[in-house]
Amino acid sequence: MRTQLTAAADMTAPVAVPAGSPGPSAVAVTGLRKSYGALQAVRGVSFTVERGEIFALLGPNGAGKTTTLEILEGFRSRDAGVVEVLGLDPGDRSHGRALRARIGLVLQDIAVEPYLTVRETIARNAGYYPAPRDVGEVIGLAGLAGLERQKVRNLSGGQKRRLDLALGLVGNPELLFLDEPTTGFDPNARQDAWQLVRSLRDEGTTILLTTHYMEEAQELADRVAVISGGQIVAAGTPATIGGRDTARTRIRFAQPAGYRAGDLPAVAVAGDGLVTLETAEPTQTLHQLTGWALARGTVLDQLTVDRPSLEDIYLRLTDYDGHEHTTERNAR
Amino acid sequence: MTLVSHQAPRRDLAMLWHQIRYEQLSFWRNPQSAFFTFVFPVVIITIFGALFRGASGSSYFYGLSALQYYVPTIAAISVLGACYSQLAIVLSTRRQNGILKRVRATPLPAGTYFLGLLAHCIMVSAVDVALIVGIGAAFGTPLPTHWPAIALALVLGAASFCALGVAVASLIRNSEAAPAVVQLVLFPLVFISGSYMPIHSDMLNRVSGALPVRPFNLALMGPFAQHTGFDWKNLGVLLAWGAAGTLIAIRRFRWDPRPE
Repeated sequence: MRTQLTAAADMTAPVAVPAGSPGPSAVAVTGLRKSYGALQAVRGVSFTVERGEIFALLGPNGAGKTTTLEILEGFRSRDAGVVEVLGLDPGDRSHGRALRARIGLVLQDIAVEPYLTVRETIARNAGYYPAPRDVGEVIGLAGLAGLERQKVRNLSGGQKRRLDLALGLVGNPELLFLDEPTTGFDPNARQDAWQLVRSLRDEGTTILLTTHYMEEAQELADRVAVISGGQIVAAGTPATIGGRDTARTRIRFAQPAGYRAGDLPAVAVAGDGLVTLETAEPTQTLHQLTGWALARGTVLDQLTVDRPSLEDIYLRLTDYDGHEHTTERNAR
Repeated sequence: MTLVSHQAPRRDLAMLWHQIRYEQLSFWRNPQSAFFTFVFPVVIITIFGALFRGASGSSYFYGLSALQYYVPTIAAISVLGACYSQLAIVLSTRRQNGILKRVRATPLPAGTYFLGLLAHCIMVSAVDVALIVGIGAAFGTPLPTHWPAIALALVLGAASFCALGVAVASLIRNSEAAPAVVQLVLFPLVFISGSYMPIHSDMLNRVSGALPVRPFNLALMGPFAQHTGFDWKNLGVLLAWGAAGTLIAIRRFRWDPRPE
């Protein structure tokens, strides 16, 4: 727990490279572009993933996450931009094998051969790598202990997904790509997977993951980038992204009977029975409001005080069809 | 560095063996593939054996008994099944399921993957041919004598039909269409090549002689029953088809179910 806290604290520092990071970034992307016919899937994406960190790429379906990831993994070509993965260009086939020996992949769909057992499947892939992890160790790490002799076709969806994860780990990669790794996991399995990802990071593995789950990004990521419409619209730590740390506090309560929003001691907006106001000085504003209510013998029912969650920020950032402005006006 | 370069070829060879072992394991564990690869040709040769049991002395085809004719043609059909059909279907299914994409994500070289499949298919073909020769012998067919010529025809035929299987898998997008496409190509080809009945039409024989199945039949029939050795002309036709299949496979093969 201590190491995680230290790592997180490092990340909030303005310096991009964490202290003691050896060599250049694990992933460096500059001005990446990719079109499919008339559709511009990726429109000038730039970001870096430092060695030893967990970096999450967030974004709605069709935002360009998977295309970006597949270019980094060497599955797709790019139209423009500079891409380096562990110092190598994944678009250059001549060192494809050397690069694939150093990266691990967990792709979105489950794909494992049905007739081999769990152990056989992992042992087969271990044989492809120059310095693989021990097969028994990987079985334990992926939470497949006790299922070694099961045929893959008899596994549940979540178990197959864990086998996929095991295959991503077995080559002992320096960099692990996880494309929506916990989709279909039950809450316990998800907690275990998160713990595994953290422990891999603590061992020095760099992890680049995509996810739909804000909770997952919040729990795991040292840094996040939000991609929308083929562009990075925000990047930072989960705590600071999109100005989350400096965002105004939102106070909401039921409109006191017999009073209008204009009667309150602070500027507030009323709607659907609730009064909402935003403030940069929550202590003072709350004191004014509660003092006002006590002085008039009324109450602030359903009082809540919150800051925008990562999900609020995400929804605001990825809502690029014009909604954004109306929401913001309403809030003010 | 020298240590690495010394070890690299040996490691690649070990990886090839590793790959062959797991291909074998996947194959034998899958009841469907094992059933169709072995049971179909065995049933056919057994039926022919029962049909022509009493006619072992008489001439069915230019001095050959019926079973002397059918043991090599059905052996050829079993190789087609083990190599061409099997590979076309397995590869398009693996691609559709995303398994090929996973293979591509590992450092396993593409060449090793395909060599592993080829070696696996040759092994399965050898088992198939041995079974058919054995059943033929049980029905009184004399055992062949020119084993080196048989071995060469078998390996070359298996390799060529593997290449054609990969080529077909490269040209089909949808794995559900694979069995139909495979049979659509194979069934008329096998028929006009005389695999199920001798063909006495010169025109048809000239056409099928330029296609891959009849040359394979003849290259096997010579050393199997006619006491002739290497049939270079037909082996050459087979090789040309194998080269064509390899070319298509190299140009068109895709690992990704949703390519760009």
